Formats: sequence, C-alpha cells, structure tokens
Amino acid sequence: MTLDRKLVAELKAIVGADHVRTEAGDVEPYARDATPVFRAVPDAVVWPAETEQVAAVLRLATERRVPVVPRGAGSNLCAATVPERGGIVLVLTRMDRVLEISPGELLARVEAGVPTSVLADAAAAQGLLYAPDPGSRTVSTVGGNVATCAGGLRGLKYGVTRNYVLGTTAVLPTGEVIHTGGRLWKDVAGYDLTRLLTGSEGTLGVLTELTVALLPMPATTNTGVAYFGSLADAGRAVDAIIGDGIVPATLEFLDAKCIGAVEEYANLGLRLDAGALLLFGDDGPEDVVDRNLGRIGEQCTDSGALEVTLAENIARSEALLTARRCALPALSRLGTLTLLEDATVPRPRLAAMVDRIDEIADRHEVPMATFGHAGDGNLHPTCVVDQRDEAAIHRAHEAFGDVFAAAIEMDGTITGEHGVGAAKLPYLEARLGADQMALLRRIKAAFDPAGILNPGKLGS
Amino acid sequence: MTGPQQQHMATPPGRGIFDPALLDRCISCGFCLPACPTYAVSKNEASSPRGRITLMRALETGRLDEDDPRLREESSFCLGCRACEPVCPAGVQYGDLLEEWRDHQWRGRRRPPPAQALMMIAERTALLRMMGLVRRHARTAAPAQTSLMLGCFERGLFPGVSRAVRTLLPDIAVPPHQGCCGALHAHNGESEKGRELARTLGETLPGTIVTTAGGCAAHLAGVLGRDRVQELSEHLAKTGATPVGEVKIEGRRARVAIQDSCHLRNGLRVFAEPRALISAVADFVPVQGDDSCCGSAGTYSLLRPRDSKRILAPKLDAYEAAGVDYVVTVNPGCQRQLHGNLRRRGSAVHAVHLADLLAAAAGGRPLPRGRRWRVPQVRVNLRRRLRRRGASGGTAGWSA
Repeated sequence: MTLDRKLVAELKAIVGADHVRTEAGDVEPYARDATPVFRAVPDAVVWPAETEQVAAVLRLATERRVPVVPRGAGSNLCAATVPERGGIVLVLTRMDRVLEISPGELLARVEAGVPTSVLADAAAAQGLLYAPDPGSRTVSTVGGNVATCAGGLRGLKYGVTRNYVLGTTAVLPTGEVIHTGGRLWKDVAGYDLTRLLTGSEGTLGVLTELTVALLPMPATTNTGVAYFGSLADAGRAVDAIIGDGIVPATLEFLDAKCIGAVEEYANLGLRLDAGALLLFGDDGPEDVVDRNLGRIGEQCTDSGALEVTLAENIARSEALLTARRCALPALSRLGTLTLLEDATVPRPRLAAMVDRIDEIADRHEVPMATFGHAGDGNLHPTCVVDQRDEAAIHRAHEAFGDVFAAAIEMDGTITGEHGVGAAKLPYLEARLGADQMALLRRIKAAFDPAGILNPGKLGS
Repeated sequence: MTGPQQQHMATPPGRGIFDPALLDRCISCGFCLPACPTYAVSKNEASSPRGRITLMRALETGRLDEDDPRLREESSFCLGCRACEPVCPAGVQYGDLLEEWRDHQWRGRRRPPPAQALMMIAERTALLRMMGLVRRHARTAAPAQTSLMLGCFERGLFPGVSRAVRTLLPDIAVPPHQGCCGALHAHNGESEKGRELARTLGETLPGTIVTTAGGCAAHLAGVLGRDRVQELSEHLAKTGATPVGEVKIEGRRARVAIQDSCHLRNGLRVFAEPRALISAVADFVPVQGDDSCCGSAGTYSLLRPRDSKRILAPKLDAYEAAGVDYVVTVNPGCQRQLHGNLRRRGSAVHAVHLADLLAAAAGGRPLPRGRRWRVPQVRVNLRRRLRRRGASGGTAGWSA
C-alpha cells in the first residue's frame, strides 16, 4: 500500500514537514531491525517529538486504518519493529530527555527514546543504579527495553526490565493518553496495566514516558572466570552455586566455539582448550563480594573446574563483561548469516538442554554455538551459516524448530528475553495453547479495535 | 503471512559495486549508532553507519539506484570519520565500504566539482613543489633511514609544521620533490588513483615514512603496509625521544587539549601517543568529545560547510568551556578547521599542530597567544551555490 497525499500532508501538519519521510531511499533503512532475514519496507517514517503528536498520529492512523509500528533504536532480535504490513514506522528517538532523577524516591522519569546507558549514567551520577542491563544497552532505548521487557546480564540477582517499571505514559491506538502506575511501589488500583504494557512489543499502545525504579549503587563489583571440560560440568557448578545459597549478580556461560570467537575479537587471554567457560560476578559491600566469589570459586572447583581465576582489577572485570556482551557479533565473524535464538529452560535442566541442542545441531548438520545466562536458564543457541546457502538456512530453521519443541517439553519457553515479534509468532501457540492465544487476541482487540498497531505480531 | 517461508530466502547476487565479503560483515546490531556524529545530529537511521550499509545493500541489489536522492545525500553527508569501526564487534570495515560506494556513486560527472579541482591540483607534483618553495617548508635531500612526508596541501598551508619537525628530528630526510599520498582521491571516489599515488610516494620516500598528517598516515599504511608508515607522535614514541622543555604561559604550564585525527584514531588506533607527548610538556586537559570528528573530514568542510560547522560548534564550545590555552591537532585538515573557526569566534583558544607545540617547548618558535579580534563572517556566494548543489538530495533529511 502507499499512503495517499492527503494523509502525508496531515502527518506533516502534526510533526512538521522535516519529520515525515516517504521516499524510497528514506524509508529503506527502516525496513529492518537487528533481526536477520526479516525485511519489510514501510510507506512512511515519522519522528514525533512529544506525546500529543504521537496521539494525533495514532488517531489519524486508526481513522484511516493505516498500520503503525513504534520503534526505538531498532536493536531488537525478534523482528518486533519490522513493518510486516507496511504503513508508518513511528520512531521515538527524538523523545530523548531524562526528565527527572529522584534520589529521595529512588526513581527516574524518562522519555521513551532515551538510550538505556544514558539513563544508567544519569542515575550513576547521583550514586544510583538502573539495574536492567541488556547487551545492547549503549544502543537500545528505555522505551524499547520496556516494550520488549529486555533482560540482560544481571537478571539472576536483579530480575529484568519488568521488575523496575513503576509507571508509563502510553498512547492507545485510538489516541487516548493513559498514565499507568506512577511513582509508587504499592499501588493495586485496577488491573496491572503497567505489567501488561511491559513486553507488549508495541502492539497495545505506544510508550512515550517511563517511570523506573533505581537502587543504591553497590559499593563494589567483581568478576571471575571458571573453565570446565564440558558445558554439562558447568551446568552442575551452577546448581551447586545456587544450592549453596548464593545468588550472584552475573552467571554467564560460553561454549568452546564462543570462547574461540570472543577471544579472537577481544584478546583477553581466554583458555581455548576448555569446553565451557563460566563467567561469574557479584556486587555489594567489598567483604560480601569477596566472600561470595570465593565460595563460587570453591563450588566450581568441586564441580570439576579446570581452572578458576578472579579478575585482578575493575578494568579486567569490565573487559570480561564487555566481551560477553559482544559474544553474538563476535560469533558473526564466522559466517555471513548469524541466526540467534533464546530458548529458556528451568535452571536445573540447563545441562540437559545444552546436550539436546548439540544433538539437534548434529542431526540437522548445522554448526551451532551456545552461550547465555546460566543463572536463569536462558540459552542463546547461535547458528552461523552462509547467507547464500539456502539449504543450510533451511536446515538451521528446522533445527531451531526442534530446539523450541525441546525447550517447551522441559517446561521452558521459546523466548526468554528477545521477544516474539514476527520471528517467533509461528511458534507461539505451541507455548501458550489455543485458549491463551485467543485471549491475547481479545486483549489486543480491546486496546486496538482497528488492528493498526504493529499488526502481524503479538495478538494477531 | 510471514514466518518460516520468508525466513528461507537467501540473498540474491549483486551488481558488483561492493566486495560482498565487506558488505556481508554487518549484522545490523546497531552498536555503531552511538558513535556516529551524523546520527547524533539527525537521529535518522539513514544517516547512521548501519542505515548507510542498508542503503549500500539496496544499491548493490538494485532495489535503489545511484540517482536516488537519499543515496546521493548520504554518500556525501557521511564524514568518513570511521568512528563506527572501533565500536563494531562484527569487524565491519566501514571506511573501505565508503570508498567503494563513492567510487561508484561519485564517478564521472557526479563527483563534486570542488573535490575534483583539489584532486587535480594534488596530482600535479611540480605545482605542489612550487607552492612549497614559495612557502619555504623544510627541505633536505640528504639520505636517511626516515623521511618526512610533506603532504600535498600542508606544505603550502602550514609550512611551519615541517620546519618544526626538523628541529625535533634533525636527521630526518625531507626530499622536496614528493607528491600527494592519494588519501584525498581515496576518500572522493577515486580509490584506485589514491592507491597509485600512495605507491608512487612510497617509491619517492626512502625508509620509514614519518608524517604529520593522521589522515595521510592511515591511507599510506593501508597501501604500503603498517610498518612502513609512522605518524609523528607514534614515531617519537617508538624511537623513545623524550620531549624537552615545557610550554609556559605567565609562569604556569600551559593548559592543552587535543583534537584527535579520526583516521589516526579509528584507522590506526593511535591516540595515547600524542596525549603522552602533550602531558610531557604541558598540562593535558581531556575534553569531552576530543576523540570525535571536528567536521573538517578532508574535503567535507568545503563540500558541506554548513554541516561541517554544525558538527564543530559544540566541540569549540567544549574547548572554550574547559579553559584551555591550546588545542593540539595532528592533521592539517583539523588544524585548518580549528584554527580558522576559533579565529572567527575571536576565541582565546589557539589551535596548534603537535610539532609546533613540541618545538616551542624545546625553545623553538613561540606559539600564538591571547584573545584575538573577532573576524566578521564573510558570506561567500560560492558557498551558497555549493550548498544548493549539494542539497539537491536535501539536507532536510534530518528529523532533528
């Protein structure tokens, strides 16, 4: 579909002529996000600057039945912001003000387009911590994080984005502006719409302002590395650590292929002969961190670790965490198409799931590397193939289908933190069942009677 | 319906404009967005490295052609500063992609005339030599292990830089008959000519080539090999020469900031060396943004003067707010950009080349000082004409 000239003129009247683009070259960069393969060209890209403009655009879109896809930085990995049915991509990056940091109330108020790391830095400047820590934090926006309920490296101890959203300002597809939640930790007036909007992937409303909870900045953080002969050994160590009553801030793993790729990029002197690497870290008062890391080290050794080392300083600790965040792009150097998933299982089944993934990869003859968040059972099986090899791409997708089935069989899920978007919609019913799928559609219809907001995704 | 069916589509073959191995590297993760100066001012994906690579792919597959206004606009709006490269975990060589893009996009009549004119001058070695004679740059034909590259325009614009180097490195050879390194060509759609000029210069200059231009260093190293070429600060660090003396103002050590050369920092990863040298002779003041592009960007300040100033303005504010006496540059383009625009502001901050700073510390020619008269901005018609030409693709692509 293309938009008629009258509609374009009306959009320009709302946000200004400079902030509406419809030419082929202008909309092309918004045809995709960080998800490989998925691509669909929008008819227009619109950059609003305030909530009222978002409301006016949505009212117009509902009236004219034009799809609208809200977008932050476009760093999601589930094709949540690919405009599958064309229409308008609504980019919120101009709304990038940190409105308030309140140390007294331990909260921050930001516009949706503020980059996550900008919020974290603004909080840190006042001695506060914004805990959610997604891998793409320097790129992603807070609005995008809330819309996808982004996870990250600190999930085990601190939870994920949803645990920090106190309130939202959201625009409904019909143009009403609602304020859910607010500045309160305790507030049970009505259905918890804040939670419902969190992770709704831009299908129920457009988030324009967020109030998020902050924590006092921990006095110190430290990180250590344990090498194992196999991922199964590492999985046993994770069980032992949690069994010992320790909930560390970070508990990440890389398999042998990932260790090789990360080492090639980051040159950290990682051991290349190990079958698995466990990266563990904690924060808090210095003596507590020292004691916890010491105990984690002992548990790793008892579980058969080949070697355990602690970072000698903060720089080394940061370098290790940065390297872990770069695991995906570093792996991408092995081929030209990097397919990544994030199947998640209950923590005690981690080792069993890793074995299943290996078996599935062998059966479908695809190279698969696995890294992820060991502490919360969140795995990232990653397949790197040649983007011109159609057969290999097909085999990879067959393999991922089996990985999802295996995860569900183990009481797990098809996606732990990346989201459903267009990429995993075909697998969603297997996870939720027909009744929940129907309920999702009814919820979607209640918010969005015309079905204009991010169609072809959740609730469609 | 989308889903698995769509997912199985493989990438079709392209038109051969780009090396597929370079283009395939990008996984669109977006880690480059925060590093890009043009994305920072525009907040438009099309003006980001990831977005430009998406446009290159559309050009390669034929979805868009070279007459597309956005393609024309972005191929010139990009500063070519390569700040996206060090932050890219996937190892995309954006600078090489940009060269391939401009080779195609700016071929023949499509090349911006001012760039064409500069390239024609730079190719005339005899002309460069004459310019150097008039401006009295350093010269000595005595054979040596290392040679100083004079730069095509630096020898005419800032002849004092090569003289300062001679006081720092008395044994260096400075053959007067040397041409342009070709970086100018490589960045303006003539990459093959750029490589040819670099190879010729490599034959003219014996031994290790020392240069006072960060941009030239990166280009030469790319063609002749990393070990043949050393930027001045790198050379001084490698040879272990300790800077002598200090730069003082009214009895105190001068406060000195730096403006990195983009290709020196992002291409050759040299940025600690000049900072160490400054710290040895003055009080080094880190300034927010001293590592990002000043908007000179080779021919950029001539081709897109308005955008160039828009990139530069907040940086000049930062240097003035930091209360420094000098900003050190390590590339003639940056020197010209900072020197001219600080003077126009009537600023108390002076831009000086690293060689000038070190030579002054050792008792050589003193550095300029004090607040200057504000130079009224002269409106040149040519500039408006250029802008109109450049803007046919529309600078209005910005949403901010």
